[in-house]
Amino acid sequence: MSLLLRAIVAAEDAGVAADLGLRSVSGTRTAALAAAWDAGRAAGEAELLDHHRVVQAVFERVPCLPARFGSVFADEEALHARLALREADLAAQLIRLGHRCELAITCAWREPDVLARATSVPTPSGRAYLERGLTQMRGERARERRAEAIVARLLSELAIEPDSIRHRICPRPAVAVSMSALVRRDEIDGLRSRLERLGAQLGDVTTVMQGPWAPYTFAVSE
Amino acid sequence: MAGVPLRRDVVTEQATTLDVPLVELVDRLLNRGVVLTGEVTISVAGVDLIYLGLSVVLSGVDTIRRHGADV
Repeated sequence: MSLLLRAIVAAEDAGVAADLGLRSVSGTRTAALAAAWDAGRAAGEAELLDHHRVVQAVFERVPCLPARFGSVFADEEALHARLALREADLAAQLIRLGHRCELAITCAWREPDVLARATSVPTPSGRAYLERGLTQMRGERARERRAEAIVARLLSELAIEPDSIRHRICPRPAVAVSMSALVRRDEIDGLRSRLERLGAQLGDVTTVMQGPWAPYTFAVSE
Repeated sequence: MAGVPLRRDVVTEQATTLDVPLVELVDRLLNRGVVLTGEVTISVAGVDLIYLGLSVVLSGVDTIRRHGADV
């Protein structure tokens, strides 16, 4: 039976695996928690969300680094070999991130981007096509400028250190800002209050905060 | 991704109205987090995921490919 990687924990915390029905593969300083996985099994939305559920269960018990979904190892020996290659880096990340959590802050446009949705409609002439493209491009630039202004407000109001913030503007048509904040648990309530106050002032977007999650965005790969 | 019905018109339409918070989570599960490259990387190609948002799925597959695994 293959193993699907779920999370990395400190070696002394490897015992949590038994509570959650996981297998642990220990190195010197860290341990990899993994689930049995049929190599021929397909994955979809249910498997993704189950991965998140398991990672969260680990995260609620001990400091951990969440694994990106999808890495399968032939057996414990193969997983141990990969863990050994990265152990120093992973141990350092656990110290830096393990006791902190990720909050996802999303600002979604209240009004859909009508121009972007109109591109599949045929135009009567080439000129009309080009003019529509120009209008659409101007609209996109305006939305990007507005999203940048929203980011500036968020950074100012939330007062989180820049190293603890990652953000993207306009990553999808419905979204103005997608932001991740790395915080301590005792900071969450204050942050939520500040975000609610700011969200009430932003008329063109709906602001949503999710989490706390394991620090997916801040656990780097290499 | 072979065999997955990539109905771009439908996906684009859905992407403007779908459950934004869920997409934010799926984006993190597919694109962020520690990577210990295994012998196999699961391909994520369910119709439900396509329905969630083509950009999310393609971004996720692209990330997997950058790490050298077969999809």
